[in-house]
Amino acid sequence: MTRESPYFVIALLFLFAARVDAQPSTTGVIDPPLSPRNASYTIRATLDPATRAITASETIVWRNITANPATELRFHLYWNAWRDASSTFMRERTLGGTPVDSRRRADEWARIDVSSIKIAGPSPVDLTASQRFIAPDDGNEQDRTVMSVPLPTAIEPGGTVAIDVAWTSRVPRTIARTGAIGNFFFIAQWFPKLGVLEDTGWNCHQFHSGTEFFSDYGSYDVSLTVPAGWPLGATGVERERRDNGNGTATHRYYQDDVHDFAWTTSPDYLVRTARFEHATLPPVDMRLLLQPEHRGQAERHFDATRATLKYYGEWFGAYLYGHITIVDPAWQSGAGGMEYPTLFTAGSQWLAPADVITPEGVTVHEAGHQFWYGMVGNNEFEHAWLDEGVNTFSTARTVAQAFSPNYLAVRYFGGFIPWVFRDIALSRETDGNRLPGYRRDAKSDAQSTETFRYFPSTGGSITYDKTALWLNTLERWLGWTTLQPIMSTFFSTWRFRHPKPDDFFQTANPMSGRDLRAFFDEVRGSNVFDYGVQNLESLSDGDRFRTNLVVRRYGEAIFPVDVLVTFANGERVTERWDGRDRWKAFVYNRPSKALSAEVDPNRVLLLDVNLTNNSMTLQPRTAAAARKWSAKWLVWLQDCLLSWAALV
Amino acid sequence: MSALRDGIRRVNRAPVILGGVWALTLLLSLPLALAMRKAFVEHLGPSLAADTAANGVNYDWMQEFVDQASGVGSTFKPTIIGFGAVLDNLSAFIDDDVRPIAIVATASIYMIAWLFVAGGILDRYARDRATGANGFFAASGVFFFRFLRLAIVQWIVYMFLFAIVHVWLFDTLYPRLTHDVTVERTAFLVRLALYLVFGALLAAAMLVFDYAKVRAVVEDRRSMLGALGAALGFIRRNASAAVGLFAANFALFLAVIAIYALVAPGAGGAGASMWIALAIAQAYVLARLWVKLVFWASETALFQSRLAHAGYVARAAPVWPDSAAAEALRG
Repeated sequence: MTRESPYFVIALLFLFAARVDAQPSTTGVIDPPLSPRNASYTIRATLDPATRAITASETIVWRNITANPATELRFHLYWNAWRDASSTFMRERTLGGTPVDSRRRADEWARIDVSSIKIAGPSPVDLTASQRFIAPDDGNEQDRTVMSVPLPTAIEPGGTVAIDVAWTSRVPRTIARTGAIGNFFFIAQWFPKLGVLEDTGWNCHQFHSGTEFFSDYGSYDVSLTVPAGWPLGATGVERERRDNGNGTATHRYYQDDVHDFAWTTSPDYLVRTARFEHATLPPVDMRLLLQPEHRGQAERHFDATRATLKYYGEWFGAYLYGHITIVDPAWQSGAGGMEYPTLFTAGSQWLAPADVITPEGVTVHEAGHQFWYGMVGNNEFEHAWLDEGVNTFSTARTVAQAFSPNYLAVRYFGGFIPWVFRDIALSRETDGNRLPGYRRDAKSDAQSTETFRYFPSTGGSITYDKTALWLNTLERWLGWTTLQPIMSTFFSTWRFRHPKPDDFFQTANPMSGRDLRAFFDEVRGSNVFDYGVQNLESLSDGDRFRTNLVVRRYGEAIFPVDVLVTFANGERVTERWDGRDRWKAFVYNRPSKALSAEVDPNRVLLLDVNLTNNSMTLQPRTAAAARKWSAKWLVWLQDCLLSWAALV
Repeated sequence: MSALRDGIRRVNRAPVILGGVWALTLLLSLPLALAMRKAFVEHLGPSLAADTAANGVNYDWMQEFVDQASGVGSTFKPTIIGFGAVLDNLSAFIDDDVRPIAIVATASIYMIAWLFVAGGILDRYARDRATGANGFFAASGVFFFRFLRLAIVQWIVYMFLFAIVHVWLFDTLYPRLTHDVTVERTAFLVRLALYLVFGALLAAAMLVFDYAKVRAVVEDRRSMLGALGAALGFIRRNASAAVGLFAANFALFLAVIAIYALVAPGAGGAGASMWIALAIAQAYVLARLWVKLVFWASETALFQSRLAHAGYVARAAPVWPDSAAAEALRG
C-alpha cells in the first residue's frame, strides 16, 4: 500500500470541488421568493408538428394583491392577433407600412380557442359560457386578443383563486418572432395569460404591433410533449424528461419568479453548454441551442452572454436564476432577437465576419433583457423605454467594453455576402445608441405617450434610440460614477416589481446631485435638441483681434452646453451657456485670432440631431473633404455606369 | 484562345480608343460628381466636421448628410468606399435594384454614347489598322442609327429579362423555393442557381447582340434584324468557339474584379493619398473598359477568322476626298 501524496489529495479535493460546481446550480426553485408570485401557472401541452396544433390545459393560481376586489378576470390571447387581418395588431402593422403578406397561406395563420374555463375546487364553477372578447384600447370588435370572464364571486384583496383553462391553438408560420417554419418551432405568448390587476383596474391591453408584454411574476411548472429526440429549450430548468413510448417525449420545466414562459424545439438543434463564472457574481450555466450551419459560432454566443452577465452584473446587479438558455433561431424564422425569462433568441448569419458584431450585438441585447424586462418587470405596453431603451443603452456600453472595435458590414447579393468596411469603426455614442433612427423620427411621438399609442413604424426610434441617447447623455453629463449607482439602485429597488417612469426619475433626481426635472421633461416630450454656431468672425483691431461669436439654439429643447473657442496661439476658452435663449453672443478681444468655435465640444448632448452645425472654423477644410468624397463618389458612379454599359 | 489573344492585341494597338472611352466615362460622371461636391460643401459649411471627413471617414456626418439628402445624394453611403463600390454596383445590377432617376438618366446617356462610338470602335478593330479620327467618327455616324434600331430590340429583350424574367425568378420563384427553407446556406445556393440562370440568359442575349453589331460592321449590314439573324446563325455554327470566347472574356472580367478587390484603396486622407487612390481607381476603370473592348475585339477577330478572308471589312475605308474647292485651294 502506498501512501498518497498530499498534493494528490489536494488535487482530488479541487477536482471534487470542480465537479460539484459543474452540476446545474439551480432547479428553478428560488427560496425565499424574490417576487410576489401572485400569478403561477401549471401547464400541460402537446405539440403535433404535423398539424402544427397545440392541445393544452393550465391551472392558474392567482392572488389579488391590489386594494380592491376583482369582479372579473382578463386574459391575453395573443395568438388571436394572427387569426386574420382584422385584428388590431394586423391593422397597425398595415398602418405602419407592413401590409399583410399575401403569400401567407390560410393554414399559416394562428388561433387560440379556449374550450373550457372553470374555477377549480371541490365544486368547480364553469365559466366557459361567460367568456367574451373586449377591446379596451381601440374598441375593435374584430380583435380577440383580450378575453374577459366575469367572476360569480369577487376575489377580495389578498384572496386567491385557482382557474382551470383548456385550449387548443394553431401554430402560425412565424410572425412577430413566434411560430413555426419547417421543423423549427418557437412558441411564445402561447397560453391564456392573465393581465395585471392594478389598483386602478385590469391592465390588460390588446396585442399591438409595436409593443410587447406585461404580466405578474409567478412560478411556472410546464410539461411539454413533443416528438422524442427533438432537443427542447424553455424558460426554467428541465426537471424531468419522460419517453412516452409512442414517439413522443414529455419535458417538464420549472421556474420560480418569472413572468412568462416560452419554449422552442427542433430536431436540427445542436446543444452546447458552457458556464459563466465571476469573482463576485453567482455562476450561470449557459445552454445554447445552435443551428448546424452556425456550429463554428458557439463560443461567440457564449462570449457575448458572458460579457452581458459580467458587465450588467457589475453595473446593475447580479443575474439570479443561475442558468440561461440561448436560442439561435432558424434562418428566416423571424424569431431572432427576442427576450423571455431565462431564455432568449439571438440571431446570426452563415457568414459572420469576426470583427462585426453579428451575433454579439443581438446576443448582448437579448441577454441584457434578463435584467431589464426579466428581473425589472416594467409594463412594455405602456413604458417600453424602461426596458428596451435602458437595455439599448446598456447594450451599447457593454459592446463598447467587450467587442471594440467593431466595424460596419454591408451585405450584398440578396443580403448573403458581407463586406466589412474597416474604415468605419462603429461608435457606441451614435451607432450603438442609434442616433440616425432617432434623428429621422425625433418628432413622431412624445416619449411620455403610452407606447402602444406610438405610430407603429416609428415608435421604435422613440423607445429604443431616444432613451439610449438621453441615458448616454446623462452619463456624459453627470459621469458614470453618478449614473451607475442610480441605475443599480433603480435595478435593486424595482427588481421583481413593476416600475413606472416616475420611479426611474425619482430614483435619479436625488442621487444625481442636480435638478434633472427639466431634462426629464424635455426628453419625455417630442422637442428636438439642436444647438449650433451661427457666426464666427475674428477681425484685426490694431495689434489685437476682435472675435465675435454667436451660438444659437435651433431646436425647441433646452440643455446647458459648453462653448469652446480656440485661438491661433493655442488659447482655449470654454464658456458655459444655459442654452435657454434662442441665441447668445460672445465677444473677445485677444492678441490672437480665433480659429474655431464649438458648441458642446465634448459632445455631451448626444440627442443633438445636427452635429455638423455644432462647430465653425475660420480655416475650414471643407473643400478638401468635399473634393475627396466627391472623388470617391465619382469612382462609384463610373463603376455604376460600367455595369450598365455591359448591356450595350 | 487565339481570338482572345488577337482581340487583346487589337485593343492594345488602339490605345486612343481605350483612352477615349475612359474620357467618355469620366466626362459623363463629372457633372453629377461636381453636383455632389457642391452638396458636400453646402452641408459641411465651415464646420470642423470637414476635418475628420477629410482625414478619414466621418461616419456621423455621412449619415447626417444622407438623412437630409434626396435623389443622387441618397447614394452617398459607406458602400462607395473602395471595393464596396464594385460590390454595390454588381449586386444592384444582378438584383435589379432601383437607382435614383439622375443616375438612371446619366446611365442612359452613357449607353447612347456607347451606341454612338460602337460603330467606330468595331470598325477600327475589324480593320485592325488606324482609321484616324475622321474614319472613326464617320463609322460611328454610319452605324449609330443602325445600332439605335438594334437598341430597340435590345431594349425589348432586356426589359423582358429584367422586368419579367428577373421579377419571376427572384420575386416569385425564389420566395416559393425558399418558403420553408430554414438553412441560410441552402437559400444562398438557391439564389446562386437563379443568378446563374439569369446570368446565362443575359449572357446569351449579350452574345447575340455583340455578334449582330460585329456582323453589321464587318459586313456593312443595314438591316439590324438581318444582322441579328446572321449573328444567331454564326453562334449556332460556332457555338463552342463563341461561348468559349465569351467565357474567357468573362474570366478576364472576374480577374480584374479580383485584383481590384486586393488593391482597392480605402477612405484615406485628402492629400496625396487621395490622388493615389483616385489613380488606382481610374486604373481599375481603365481595366474594366479594356475588358469590355476586348470582348468586342475578340468577337470581331473570331468572326473574321471564320471568314474566307480574315481581316475583311465590306465597307470602303471611310476617308472622304476633300471638296473640289478645297482641292483647288490646295492646288
